[in-house]
Amino acid sequence: MSKTNDRGGARIKQQIIPIVIVAVLFGLSFLTRTGSALRPSYYVVLFVSILNYIVLAVSWNIFSGPSGYISLSTAAFFGLGIYVSALLGEKLPVPLLMIVAGVISFAIAAIIGVITLRLRGVYFTIFTFGLVLLLQYFILWYEVKFNNLRGRTVMAVPYNTVFICLLILAGIVLIAAYYVKRSRFGMALTGIGECEDAAAHIGVNTTMVKVIAFAATSFAIGASGAAKATTMIYIDPPIAFNVMMSFMPVLMVIFGGAGSFLGPIIGAIVFTLLQEQLTTKWPKWYMIIFGVVMIISIVFLPKGLVGSFGEMVGKRKKLLLIAATAVFMVVGFIFTKLLAAAGTNIGGLVFPLLFGIIGFVIFANVLKRGKEAA
Amino acid sequence: MSRKKLLSVLLAAALGLSLLAGCGQSAAPAAAASSAKEEAAPAAAASSAKEEAAPAAEKSEAPAAEKSEAPAAEPAADVDPNKESIKVGAVRSQTGVFAMFDQTAFGPCYRMWVDKVNADGGIYVEEYGKKLPIDLIVYDDTSDMNQMTQLYQKLILEDQVDFLLPPVSTAFLSAAVPIAAQYGYLMIGAEGGSDTLKEALAKYPDFFSVLNYSVTQVPAIVDLMLEQGMKSAYIVYIQDTHGIEYSSAAEPAFKEAGIEIKEMKSVPADLADVTPIINDAMASGADAFILFTYPQITYPAIEVSKALGYNPKMFITGPGGSFESMKAACGGDEGIEGIIFEGAWNDKGSPEAAQFAKDLQEFNKDDPAFGMDWWGHIVYYASLEVLQQAIEGAGTLDNKVISQYIKDNHFNVSMGEIWFENQEIAHECFLGDLGQWQNGYPEVIDADENRTADPIVPKPDWP
Repeated sequence: MSKTNDRGGARIKQQIIPIVIVAVLFGLSFLTRTGSALRPSYYVVLFVSILNYIVLAVSWNIFSGPSGYISLSTAAFFGLGIYVSALLGEKLPVPLLMIVAGVISFAIAAIIGVITLRLRGVYFTIFTFGLVLLLQYFILWYEVKFNNLRGRTVMAVPYNTVFICLLILAGIVLIAAYYVKRSRFGMALTGIGECEDAAAHIGVNTTMVKVIAFAATSFAIGASGAAKATTMIYIDPPIAFNVMMSFMPVLMVIFGGAGSFLGPIIGAIVFTLLQEQLTTKWPKWYMIIFGVVMIISIVFLPKGLVGSFGEMVGKRKKLLLIAATAVFMVVGFIFTKLLAAAGTNIGGLVFPLLFGIIGFVIFANVLKRGKEAA
Repeated sequence: MSRKKLLSVLLAAALGLSLLAGCGQSAAPAAAASSAKEEAAPAAAASSAKEEAAPAAEKSEAPAAEKSEAPAAEPAADVDPNKESIKVGAVRSQTGVFAMFDQTAFGPCYRMWVDKVNADGGIYVEEYGKKLPIDLIVYDDTSDMNQMTQLYQKLILEDQVDFLLPPVSTAFLSAAVPIAAQYGYLMIGAEGGSDTLKEALAKYPDFFSVLNYSVTQVPAIVDLMLEQGMKSAYIVYIQDTHGIEYSSAAEPAFKEAGIEIKEMKSVPADLADVTPIINDAMASGADAFILFTYPQITYPAIEVSKALGYNPKMFITGPGGSFESMKAACGGDEGIEGIIFEGAWNDKGSPEAAQFAKDLQEFNKDDPAFGMDWWGHIVYYASLEVLQQAIEGAGTLDNKVISQYIKDNHFNVSMGEIWFENQEIAHECFLGDLGQWQNGYPEVIDADENRTADPIVPKPDWP
């Protein structure tokens, strides 16, 4: 009887996260009401970037997180999505553009996956990076040779529309990520990551699992590219196949916590805000601070924010870590205000974010050492 | 679900809420400013009607300087009397692959303009009855299109700027213009000069392009070649908007003029070694060697040509050939002697041009990266002078009214008297289309009245 209740409770708890995701995304959709169709709120603009990175980071994490196959092909499928919008933007509405881009990305990823997912380790990583350059130069050559043009204009779409489309896509990707992690398919991917030969021995069709995961996540990446392209307005191959789009999701996942559900989400949110704030408030320091944050994260939080949080034993330590991070963020906020009062108006979230990260790093390590000493 | 997971969710929620709270600081003032701006619209429309009623000649005679001396008047009833500055926003590539352009092209010009305007107390705006200094907000797009489009949205929606300055490059300009147009802002271009902008000019009536480009520069090359008896050319072009456009314009123009194109070679932007191309050009025996490329290819091509002893009768270069900084990269005055470049202007063009050249060099004397650009600098600065005079002349900050004022009037700027035709600076206003380095000086060598010195053809031997 109690076992039945436990199973029922577990099932209910399993539904909480998807419900929370839907509720949060539904709540976010009200941001469109803070502005008009012609003049959206800047929150909407900012969240288009955040949602875009959430889709990319979570998609990357679904496949590369558990399987250990580090893919740098994100920019390739993102760029394909952008070109779908550039070519079909005047004929199709955004949701259809996203579906077409997703299907094309899925098909190309499946073909590439069948050919290359037998490669392991660094060979696969280099191949996926090469794919970005291959597509970039092939399209550039094709456009110059046959169309005598380099760039294309993409049909602009109101930000509110793009925001809602990405909100729905992010919802689908997040719910998929949550269930995949708990499914047999997810376990097969984890098995491949831990020991591919052993997974094959116990009956997992490793090639098929890898190809399906790679292609399915590429669908989401391509769809996201199609939606984002409508805010970029003018594109050419180097812009569409920007290699940074391959690296940023990986950095976000490492920062947030690879393999976890929340890690890529937190990484995408913090990195997008940090990028936006640093480029506008501290442009000359942007890459230096970004680099320092990444080095600190890798050295002191090798499992990322969520992984390090999970290492805390006991509810008290976890609450302490949350409280310490919050206090540091508040101190950062007060520091910003004091600077403003002294005439140095940096404003925004630079200090709250950086102080929050520092606070988390310090307390996560102090509390972990306490655990080890005990 | 475990407590661990629940706590993770709480952490994320707390983080999200605190971030939202932080972001929310400027929401209310932004909305207020927006409403104030919208309320000002009828006044602007009335002002526009008034301007249209006045004769065009009279309007162009209304110099900004005279207005700025006028006694402080009462502000119009429907504008914010507490307004203390004109907010001007720009998204520029201060880092990344395009950073060089903000450092050496439009960058020095807008920085000097803001400095000069503010030193003079600001720009007189009649509807406010006072001079308003410029509050310049510049964001770095890190040479990334995504960042650039997002940051223009930030300038418009969050910072509520009054005017926008253009981004770096034709591609970025192509994306920025529709954003500006969507929110009713005018945009006067800078580094972007291209035939591909024609579409934007037709579509967006408040967009103005200022730089001269292939439409006038390719015919200038043809005229010069015919004048100097050149019969053949070897053309190298970069696979980007500039290279494709110039090569596409050159092919029919050269054929029509009877100039043989020995080879038309396209190269990628990151070409690692130019040696095979120089060898091929040398073997072709073409009279003119033409590089529609950027400095990263042009400068090595000059150096490799020297090393291989390739010295065609005409050596013509694209963007970057007009940069004073080319001297440092290519062996000083002697190292670039006789090289022809797209451009052009010099301080012989007019007393105003001479004064501008002097002022710009003085303003940037402490910047080691600065060097004069004898193609763009004077045009970029003129565009800012036009904006300033249009604000003063129209007496408002309303972008639509100012845009119309720019279309209707002539302006006295560093280039001399200029005006716009189809939203582009009229060709006769430019001080030149082609330049040539002669004893380290950028002479204008167009085959017309702009010429400041006879061209040196054939090009002297390399040192």
